[in-house]
Amino acid sequence: MRIVEIVAMVTVALFLALILGGSHPTETPLRGHVVENGVAETGAVNLVTAIYLGYRAFDTLGETVVLMLAVSGVIFFVEQRR
Amino acid sequence: MAKTDILDVVARKLAPFMLLFGLYLVSYGDTSPGGGFQGGVVIASGVILLAMARGVSAAERLFPMHRLSAAETAAYGVFLAAGVVGLVLGVGFLGDFTRPGWTNSPLPAARFIFLLNLAIGIKVACGVSLICMYLFRED
Repeated sequence: MRIVEIVAMVTVALFLALILGGSHPTETPLRGHVVENGVAETGAVNLVTAIYLGYRAFDTLGETVVLMLAVSGVIFFVEQRR
Repeated sequence: MAKTDILDVVARKLAPFMLLFGLYLVSYGDTSPGGGFQGGVVIASGVILLAMARGVSAAERLFPMHRLSAAETAAYGVFLAAGVVGLVLGVGFLGDFTRPGWTNSPLPAARFIFLLNLAIGIKVACGVSLICMYLFRED
């Protein structure tokens, strides 16, 4: 059991080292486009909102479906137990 | 576990301010940190505070469960309808059919995003409070 935990920790540490130590392209074309034109194109000063409701509103639609499914599941199981 | 007067008074005084702060987060989601999901959860935490401190039946007098369920469905319908309106007007599904950048007015500049934030806020608030009220209810 202890060996499994050690292996898991080493794997996670290696993974994190590779991810965090790797080179990140800090300037991508998409990022530059959002930073320059995001406010003008969507009207939202908050760029996070500009992305998740302006550029990727369809993605947000899926997120709301996830919440609706969670509510349906909870109600289903609670009503079933009663 | 016995309920104290302190819990009762604090919950009743605090809950309206939590609801107000949640609405603030929802409506200013396009200019400051916040938005529909975060503000909706803050509104739901106000409802949950009432449900935990005063009991689910007391919270249900203010927020009946069938109304919460109906409001969640209606908010989802508003979201879909906003998308379909964009489709009809030729800007694509969920495209912005209002003109952004109208900044010199008291209204939010991003009206389409404000509308979507409002729908998401209502939906998340009703959904999370429904989950918790179903789980807290004992009968």
